[in-house]
Amino acid sequence: MPSLVPTTDEGRIYELCVLYPYPLPQKEEQEVLKAVEHIFEDAQAKLISKDSWGRRGLAYAIRGSTEGCYVIYHYEVDPEKIREIDEAIRITPNVLRHLLIKPPKGYEVVKFSEQFKNWQKSKEEGDQRNAAAAEEKLRKQVADRAKRQAKRVEEEKKVKKETEAPKKPLSEGALEEEISKLISDDEINL
Amino acid sequence: MKQANKSPRTDPRLKKCPFKEKGVAYIDYKDYPLLKQYVDYFGNIRQRYYTGVSLKYQKMLKQAIERARFMGMLAYRK
Repeated sequence: MPSLVPTTDEGRIYELCVLYPYPLPQKEEQEVLKAVEHIFEDAQAKLISKDSWGRRGLAYAIRGSTEGCYVIYHYEVDPEKIREIDEAIRITPNVLRHLLIKPPKGYEVVKFSEQFKNWQKSKEEGDQRNAAAAEEKLRKQVADRAKRQAKRVEEEKKVKKETEAPKKPLSEGALEEEISKLISDDEINL
Repeated sequence: MKQANKSPRTDPRLKKCPFKEKGVAYIDYKDYPLLKQYVDYFGNIRQRYYTGVSLKYQKMLKQAIERARFMGMLAYRK
Protein backbone atom coordinates (compact mmCIF):
# COMPACT_ATOMS: atom_id res chain seq x y z
CA MET A 1 0.00 0.00 0.00
CA PRO A 2 1.29 3.42 -0.87
CA SER A 3 1.87 5.65 2.10
CA LEU A 4 -0.44 8.59 2.65
CA VAL A 5 2.01 10.79 4.48
CA PRO A 6 2.70 13.98 2.51
CA THR A 7 6.31 14.23 1.38
CA THR A 8 6.53 17.99 1.73
CA ASP A 9 5.19 20.42 4.31
CA GLU A 10 2.92 22.14 1.85
CA GLY A 11 1.40 19.06 0.28
CA ARG A 12 -1.70 17.38 1.59
CA ILE A 13 -3.39 14.15 0.63
CA TYR A 14 -6.75 14.40 -1.11
CA GLU A 15 -9.10 11.76 -2.33
CA LEU A 16 -11.14 12.22 -5.45
CA CYS A 17 -14.04 10.10 -6.62
CA VAL A 18 -15.29 10.68 -10.14
CA LEU A 19 -18.47 9.23 -11.62
CA TYR A 20 -19.07 9.18 -15.36
CA PRO A 21 -21.89 7.48 -17.27
CA TYR A 22 -21.35 3.90 -18.37
CA PRO A 23 -22.50 3.62 -21.98
CA LEU A 24 -19.86 6.11 -23.14
CA PRO A 25 -17.75 5.78 -26.30
CA GLN A 26 -14.23 4.72 -25.44
CA LYS A 27 -12.80 7.90 -26.89
CA GLU A 28 -14.92 10.11 -24.63
CA GLU A 29 -14.16 7.91 -21.66
CA GLN A 30 -10.46 8.41 -22.25
CA GLU A 31 -11.04 12.12 -22.62
CA VAL A 32 -12.82 12.38 -19.27
CA LEU A 33 -10.03 10.61 -17.44
CA LYS A 34 -7.39 12.60 -19.29
CA ALA A 35 -9.13 15.87 -18.49
CA VAL A 36 -9.32 15.04 -14.78
CA GLU A 37 -5.71 13.93 -14.66
CA HIS A 38 -4.67 16.99 -16.63
CA ILE A 39 -6.27 19.29 -14.05
CA PHE A 40 -4.16 17.73 -11.36
CA GLU A 41 -1.04 17.84 -13.49
CA ASP A 42 -1.55 21.55 -13.95
CA ALA A 43 -1.62 21.94 -10.18
CA GLN A 44 1.64 19.98 -9.90
CA ALA A 45 -0.04 17.22 -7.93
CA LYS A 46 1.54 13.87 -7.26
CA LEU A 47 -0.50 10.78 -8.05
CA ILE A 48 -0.42 8.25 -5.22
CA SER A 49 -2.95 5.69 -6.33
CA LYS A 50 -5.67 5.14 -8.87
CA ASP A 51 -8.49 2.65 -8.56
CA SER A 52 -10.93 2.09 -11.40
CA TRP A 53 -14.13 0.39 -10.25
CA GLY A 54 -15.61 -0.16 -13.66
CA ARG A 55 -19.28 -0.51 -14.44
CA ARG A 56 -21.73 -0.23 -11.57
CA GLY A 57 -25.43 0.26 -11.26
CA LEU A 58 -26.56 3.54 -9.73
CA ALA A 59 -29.07 3.73 -6.92
CA TYR A 60 -31.00 6.44 -8.78
CA ALA A 61 -30.81 7.91 -12.27
CA ILE A 62 -28.35 10.77 -12.58
CA ARG A 63 -28.84 12.90 -15.71
CA GLY A 64 -30.73 10.04 -17.31
CA SER A 65 -28.08 7.36 -16.88
CA THR A 66 -28.73 4.39 -14.62
CA GLU A 67 -25.24 2.94 -14.82
CA GLY A 68 -21.90 4.55 -14.25
CA CYS A 69 -18.20 4.00 -13.75
CA TYR A 70 -16.28 5.14 -10.69
CA VAL A 71 -12.64 6.08 -10.51
CA ILE A 72 -10.87 6.81 -7.23
CA TYR A 73 -7.71 8.90 -7.16
CA HIS A 74 -5.40 9.75 -4.31
CA TYR A 75 -3.33 12.86 -4.92
CA GLU A 76 -0.91 14.96 -3.00
CA VAL A 77 -1.85 18.53 -3.70
CA ASP A 78 -1.08 21.96 -2.38
CA PRO A 79 -4.22 22.89 -0.37
CA GLU A 80 -4.30 26.37 -1.88
CA LYS A 81 -5.08 24.97 -5.31
CA ILE A 82 -7.83 22.65 -4.22
CA ARG A 83 -10.62 25.13 -4.82
CA GLU A 84 -9.56 25.67 -8.42
CA ILE A 85 -9.30 21.94 -8.97
CA ASP A 86 -12.76 21.38 -7.55
CA GLU A 87 -14.20 24.07 -9.79
CA ALA A 88 -12.40 22.69 -12.84
CA ILE A 89 -13.70 19.16 -12.28
CA ARG A 90 -17.22 20.50 -11.80
CA ILE A 91 -17.28 21.95 -15.31
CA THR A 92 -15.60 18.96 -16.95
CA PRO A 93 -17.99 17.44 -19.49
CA ASN A 94 -19.31 13.92 -18.90
CA VAL A 95 -18.59 13.96 -15.17
CA LEU A 96 -21.84 13.15 -13.40
CA ARG A 97 -20.61 13.51 -9.83
CA HIS A 98 -17.32 14.10 -8.10
CA LEU A 99 -16.32 14.13 -4.47
CA LEU A 100 -13.07 15.69 -3.33
CA ILE A 101 -12.34 14.97 0.31
CA LYS A 102 -9.46 14.85 2.71
CA PRO A 103 -9.00 11.37 4.16
CA PRO A 104 -8.55 11.26 7.94
CA LYS A 105 -5.27 10.69 9.71
CA GLY A 106 -3.99 7.16 9.52
CA TYR A 107 -6.13 6.31 6.52
CA GLU A 108 -4.91 3.49 4.33
CA VAL A 109 -5.71 3.11 0.67
CA VAL A 110 -8.03 0.17 0.15
CA LYS A 111 -8.81 -1.23 -3.28
CA PHE A 112 -12.58 -1.28 -3.04
CA SER A 113 -12.97 -2.54 -6.59
CA GLU A 114 -11.54 -5.92 -5.59
CA GLN A 115 -13.45 -5.98 -2.32
CA PHE A 116 -16.69 -5.27 -4.12
CA LYS A 117 -16.06 -8.04 -6.63
CA ASN A 118 -15.30 -10.52 -3.86
CA TRP A 119 -18.40 -9.42 -1.99
CA GLN A 120 -20.54 -9.82 -5.09
CA LYS A 121 -19.13 -13.27 -5.71
CA SER A 122 -19.71 -14.42 -2.16
CA LYS A 123 -23.20 -12.95 -2.23
CA GLU A 124 -24.03 -14.77 -5.45
CA GLU A 125 -22.74 -18.00 -4.00
CA GLY A 126 -24.77 -17.43 -0.86
CA ASP A 127 -27.87 -16.70 -2.92
CA GLN A 128 -27.35 -19.83 -4.95
CA ARG A 129 -26.86 -21.88 -1.81
CA ASN A 130 -30.00 -20.41 -0.29
CA ALA A 131 -31.99 -21.12 -3.45
CA ALA A 132 -30.65 -24.69 -3.54
CA ALA A 133 -31.54 -25.15 0.14
CA ALA A 134 -35.06 -23.82 -0.43
CA GLU A 135 -35.54 -26.13 -3.39
CA GLU A 136 -34.25 -29.08 -1.40
CA LYS A 137 -36.64 -28.24 1.41
CA LEU A 138 -39.58 -28.02 -0.98
CA ARG A 139 -38.65 -31.33 -2.56
CA LYS A 140 -38.39 -32.93 0.85
CA GLN A 141 -41.78 -31.56 1.81
CA VAL A 142 -43.35 -32.97 -1.32
CA ALA A 143 -41.67 -36.33 -0.77
CA ASP A 144 -42.78 -36.37 2.86
CA ARG A 145 -46.31 -35.58 1.89
CA ALA A 146 -46.30 -38.37 -0.70
CA LYS A 147 -44.90 -40.75 1.88
CA ARG A 148 -47.48 -39.76 4.44
CA GLN A 149 -50.26 -40.20 1.92
CA ALA A 150 -48.95 -43.64 0.97
CA LYS A 151 -48.78 -44.56 4.63
CA ARG A 152 -52.31 -43.39 5.21
CA VAL A 153 -53.57 -45.38 2.25
CA GLU A 154 -51.78 -48.45 3.54
CA GLU A 155 -53.19 -47.99 7.00
CA GLU A 156 -56.67 -47.64 5.60
CA LYS A 157 -56.15 -50.84 3.66
CA LYS A 158 -54.95 -52.57 6.80
CA VAL A 159 -57.99 -51.42 8.74
CA LYS A 160 -60.23 -52.67 5.96
CA LYS A 161 -58.43 -56.03 5.93
CA GLU A 162 -58.76 -56.35 9.70
CA THR A 163 -62.47 -55.71 9.51
CA GLU A 164 -62.83 -58.08 6.60
CA ALA A 165 -60.42 -60.72 7.84
CA PRO A 166 -62.56 -62.42 10.56
CA LYS A 167 -65.41 -62.81 8.12
CA LYS A 168 -63.35 -64.65 5.55
CA PRO A 169 -62.84 -68.05 7.27
CA LEU A 170 -66.50 -68.13 8.13
CA SER A 171 -67.61 -67.44 4.60
CA GLU A 172 -65.64 -70.37 3.17
CA GLY A 173 -66.07 -74.11 3.56
CA ALA A 174 -65.15 -74.08 7.21
CA LEU A 175 -68.55 -72.65 8.07
CA GLU A 176 -70.39 -75.41 6.34
CA GLU A 177 -68.20 -78.00 8.00
CA GLU A 178 -68.96 -76.63 11.38
CA ILE A 179 -72.63 -76.54 10.68
CA SER A 180 -72.59 -80.12 9.47
CA LYS A 181 -70.64 -81.05 12.59
CA LEU A 182 -73.26 -79.43 14.76
CA ILE A 183 -76.02 -81.14 12.87
CA SER A 184 -74.35 -84.55 12.98
CA ASP A 185 -73.58 -84.16 16.63
CA ASP A 186 -75.80 -86.58 18.55
CA GLU A 187 -75.06 -85.24 21.95
CA ILE A 188 -77.10 -82.18 21.39
CA ASN A 189 -80.72 -82.79 22.30
CA LEU A 190 -83.09 -80.78 20.32
CA MET B 1 -40.28 -3.77 35.30
CA LYS B 2 -40.85 -7.47 35.85
CA GLN B 3 -43.08 -7.69 32.80
CA ALA B 4 -40.48 -5.93 30.65
CA ASN B 5 -37.88 -8.50 31.63
CA LYS B 6 -40.21 -11.34 30.73
CA SER B 7 -40.64 -10.20 27.11
CA PRO B 8 -38.76 -12.27 24.50
CA ARG B 9 -36.97 -9.20 23.14
CA THR B 10 -33.38 -8.75 24.19
CA ASP B 11 -32.49 -5.66 26.11
CA PRO B 12 -31.23 -3.09 23.57
CA ARG B 13 -28.71 -1.88 26.10
CA LEU B 14 -26.97 -5.24 25.89
CA LYS B 15 -26.11 -4.75 22.23
CA LYS B 16 -22.45 -4.15 21.49
CA CYS B 17 -21.26 -1.58 18.99
CA PRO B 18 -19.89 -3.53 16.00
CA PHE B 19 -17.40 -0.78 15.15
CA LYS B 20 -16.12 -0.29 18.66
CA GLU B 21 -15.40 -3.99 19.01
CA LYS B 22 -13.22 -3.97 15.90
CA GLY B 23 -11.62 -0.66 16.75
CA VAL B 24 -12.56 0.95 13.44
CA ALA B 25 -10.81 4.27 12.83
CA TYR B 26 -12.90 5.56 9.94
CA ILE B 27 -16.00 4.46 8.07
CA ASP B 28 -15.44 4.75 4.35
CA TYR B 29 -18.23 5.91 2.05
CA LYS B 30 -16.90 3.54 -0.65
CA ASP B 31 -17.50 0.45 1.44
CA TYR B 32 -20.92 -0.37 0.01
CA PRO B 33 -21.39 -3.83 1.61
CA LEU B 34 -20.78 -2.33 5.05
CA LEU B 35 -23.06 0.68 4.62
CA LYS B 36 -25.84 -1.44 3.20
CA GLN B 37 -26.33 -3.13 6.56
CA TYR B 38 -27.15 0.18 8.21
CA VAL B 39 -29.74 1.30 5.66
CA ASP B 40 -33.26 -0.08 5.61
CA TYR B 41 -35.40 -0.99 2.61
CA PHE B 42 -36.59 2.58 2.14
CA GLY B 43 -33.08 4.00 2.17
CA ASN B 44 -33.28 5.47 5.66
CA ILE B 45 -30.41 5.14 8.08
CA ARG B 46 -31.19 2.51 10.73
CA GLN B 47 -31.53 3.90 14.21
CA ARG B 48 -28.81 3.43 16.75
CA TYR B 49 -31.36 1.89 19.07
CA TYR B 50 -31.80 -1.08 16.73
CA THR B 51 -28.25 -1.55 15.47
CA GLY B 52 -26.37 -0.87 18.68
CA VAL B 53 -23.89 1.50 17.04
CA SER B 54 -22.33 3.94 19.46
CA LEU B 55 -22.88 7.66 18.97
CA LYS B 56 -19.34 8.31 17.79
CA TYR B 57 -19.64 5.75 15.01
CA GLN B 58 -23.21 6.68 14.17
CA LYS B 59 -21.99 10.17 13.29
CA MET B 60 -19.26 8.71 11.07
CA LEU B 61 -21.77 6.33 9.54
CA LYS B 62 -24.14 9.19 8.79
CA GLN B 63 -21.45 11.10 6.93
CA ALA B 64 -20.36 8.02 5.01
CA ILE B 65 -23.93 7.18 3.99
CA GLU B 66 -24.62 10.76 2.92
CA ARG B 67 -21.49 10.78 0.78
CA ALA B 68 -22.41 7.42 -0.74
CA ARG B 69 -25.89 8.76 -1.51
CA PHE B 70 -24.46 11.78 -3.25
CA MET B 71 -22.26 9.57 -5.40
CA GLY B 72 -25.20 7.41 -6.40
CA MET B 73 -24.12 4.28 -4.53
CA LEU B 74 -27.02 4.36 -2.09
CA ALA B 75 -30.56 5.56 -2.66
CA TYR B 76 -32.03 8.62 -0.97
CA ARG B 77 -35.50 7.11 -1.13
CA LYS B 78 -36.93 3.94 -2.50
